[in-house]
Amino acid sequence: MQKIVEVQNVEKIYGKAGEKQFKALSDVNFEVKPGEFVGIMGASGSGKTTLLNILSTLDTPTSGQVEIAGQDITKLNNNQMADFRANKIGFIFQDFNLLENLTAYENIALPLALQNKATKAIKPAVMSIAEKLGLTDILNHYPTELSGGQKQRVAAARALVHEPSIVFGDEPTGALDSKSARALLDTLTKINREDDVSILLVTHDPFSASFCDRILFIKDGEIGQELKKDDSSRSEYYQEILDSLGTFAE
Amino acid sequence: MLNKLALSGIKHRIRDYSVLFSGLMIASAIFYMFMSLATNKSFLNSNSPAAATSFIFGFGIVLLAIITIVYVNYANTFLLSMRQKEYGMFMMLGAKSSKISRMIFVETFAIGAISTVIGAFIGVVATSFVSRWIINALDMQVKHFNSFYLPALLWTLVFFVIIFMFSAIRNSISLRRSKVLTLLNRDSQPVKIKRNGVLKSIQAFLGLILLAIGYFSMYYVGANPVFIYLGVPLALVTIVAGTYLTINSFVTAVILMLKRNTKYSQRGLNNFTLSQLSFRINDYTKILSMVSIMFALALGAITVGLGFNNQIDNVINGQNYYDVQVTNPDAAQQKRLKSLNSEKKDTYNYKTLGKKVYYRASEFKNQPLGYSSMNTQTMASKTQTTTEPAKNEGARYELMGTRLPDQRTMEAEFLSDSAYQALNAKETTTVLVKTNSFKNNLATIKSISKAEAKRYPALKTQASDKYEAYTLINGLFSGLEFMGFFLGIAFLAMLASCLMFKILSGANGDVKRYNMLYKIGTRQKVLRQTINKEIAVLFAVPAVLGVVHVLIGLQMFSKILYRPYANIEIPFIIFIVLYLGYYFLTRYLYKKIVLK
Repeated sequence: MQKIVEVQNVEKIYGKAGEKQFKALSDVNFEVKPGEFVGIMGASGSGKTTLLNILSTLDTPTSGQVEIAGQDITKLNNNQMADFRANKIGFIFQDFNLLENLTAYENIALPLALQNKATKAIKPAVMSIAEKLGLTDILNHYPTELSGGQKQRVAAARALVHEPSIVFGDEPTGALDSKSARALLDTLTKINREDDVSILLVTHDPFSASFCDRILFIKDGEIGQELKKDDSSRSEYYQEILDSLGTFAE
Repeated sequence: MLNKLALSGIKHRIRDYSVLFSGLMIASAIFYMFMSLATNKSFLNSNSPAAATSFIFGFGIVLLAIITIVYVNYANTFLLSMRQKEYGMFMMLGAKSSKISRMIFVETFAIGAISTVIGAFIGVVATSFVSRWIINALDMQVKHFNSFYLPALLWTLVFFVIIFMFSAIRNSISLRRSKVLTLLNRDSQPVKIKRNGVLKSIQAFLGLILLAIGYFSMYYVGANPVFIYLGVPLALVTIVAGTYLTINSFVTAVILMLKRNTKYSQRGLNNFTLSQLSFRINDYTKILSMVSIMFALALGAITVGLGFNNQIDNVINGQNYYDVQVTNPDAAQQKRLKSLNSEKKDTYNYKTLGKKVYYRASEFKNQPLGYSSMNTQTMASKTQTTTEPAKNEGARYELMGTRLPDQRTMEAEFLSDSAYQALNAKETTTVLVKTNSFKNNLATIKSISKAEAKRYPALKTQASDKYEAYTLINGLFSGLEFMGFFLGIAFLAMLASCLMFKILSGANGDVKRYNMLYKIGTRQKVLRQTINKEIAVLFAVPAVLGVVHVLIGLQMFSKILYRPYANIEIPFIIFIVLYLGYYFLTRYLYKKIVLK
């Protein structure tokens, strides 16, 4: 079976040779299969963000290989990287990152407009994802007129509208209240199940992580442990995560 | 400790600060340049006979002062937008707000003082450079002009110290009043959205009507100069208000229309650019209308200044038909006359007896006398010829000027050949030449005129040839032209840097937006294109309106200038090139701030 993400021996070192160097990632290996919902957990400074930046082509590894949807992303030039992000990746950020001078509709349509999709194709695509995420009524609102939960759902719609190979979430629930966080995670789970969208979530919140199929724990730049949900219920899985965090941190 | 931190904060953002510094230096340099002209009474008096000049410059000072205040205000906002987060952080860490407000006071004032002093120095250098350039380029005679003029320097320093004092006080008060949290999160404060279609369409309609009134009154002033004291203020008020309303509503409406056209808006980043613009226009209405008015004034000043230059030919052609006149030419003068490219060369003889001069009528039959006249209604000069100067007052007047000074008041009579021969009196010969071009033969014409003055010393003070008219008028118009150019360039530099600052002061807030677009996969090239487009529109809107203002405003000069629209492309090209320079600079600096 083809893999969506394949990371091999990735290493990231900050600082030039001869100066004081800092190893943010060392020998990271993992993979994500199509339709998987994977979480990466770790404390602050563990290398989560560095890893996410590398996966999303915003940063390049010092050594190692990263393949996404069969393409080695470490060998792309700047334009190819931009096109790759535009076509293959969806982003959900902690602070939403919506453009406040565009309406919800326009924000969601942005990735399609960037790909210069035909105008006729844009509207149905936006409407269908908006319906799925329950945004139909607020499409003409500006972000400042929306609640945090609504904003994040708009951001999710924007991440999904161009049918990317994988969606990256960077602490997507970090700025949400518990109810909105729960709703967003339910939505992501639903989309993952029904539409087979692969999702990779970076978080330090065990509750968010408990929605994943599989969790990779990262500590001091290395992937230490893996925890699979398998047949356990979400609350059992949540307990397992807490337990592993307790032992992993030591 | 805090001072040290604040200083290191400045070091950290040295690039942003260099933008701020250079902007303020430009402001004080321009202010000095302008003051060096405006406060120099002996220059103004010797270069312009009109009482209007000091009025124009007084008006200019007020205008420039207002713009400078607005400009410093923008620069100040830019400074505060850079610093507030840091100062907020100091306050959060427990620094007393009185201490912080003292710090911002010192910082604002120090930045102002340093940039003013350096700027004034640049002003002195730039003044000498610009004035030399203008004088050389336009072959002018400018008297009593010095690039270093102490009163102007003092005025500049005092003026800037005062406005920086005020902005320092304002900064410290506004910082003291705002809450720590607002300071820390100022970047993420929501932008209010206004949506009111009906009001906008009323505004658009009203704006166009006001512009029409203003334009009509300028046109009316041109046709009826008496109306000037009512017409000019009326035009000023209606055009300023009309420009404001038009930009606020009309431009927004156009943007909205483009947004509705999904075929256009949903391609690439078009929609983003349009939204940026419509948000900007709301925020920029005031500065854009100010810039467009300033643009019109500056371009108008240069155009009218050059108009005076074009006038020189026309006026001197209205004074004299012949380019040179030589009385009893000697060998040296003959030689010089030969080297001219003559179009018409006439030789007349006359005899003086008692209080009269006698010409031979037949000489005029064979060589018709050329004479020129000027229509004071249209300011157009006309050249004609006649074979019977006796019956033509214009021709007699022209002929009078060709005689030596002591014979000019004598009455001329035109005799038959036999009557002329019978006269027993001394005969004088006058050679008159009209060349194919006064300007191209100027050097020879000048040497002939000088030689004549040497041969007949009375001509030194009472010359009536074309060269004399030329020096007189060139001297007069050069002064006016120089002022027009100087005024125009100073205003342009000011308005363009104002616009630049306003755009750059918003750049910090845009960093996040462009970063987000980059993350979701926009190519760098596309980002740069959208920035170029956005800034181009912000520069173009006031420019287009300004050009229209000037084109119609020139109607006001239709009675003063001969063909005010002649050669209009020259000032326009000079102006547009300078303005484009500012556009490219702004765009470059903006990208430096926004794209990492």
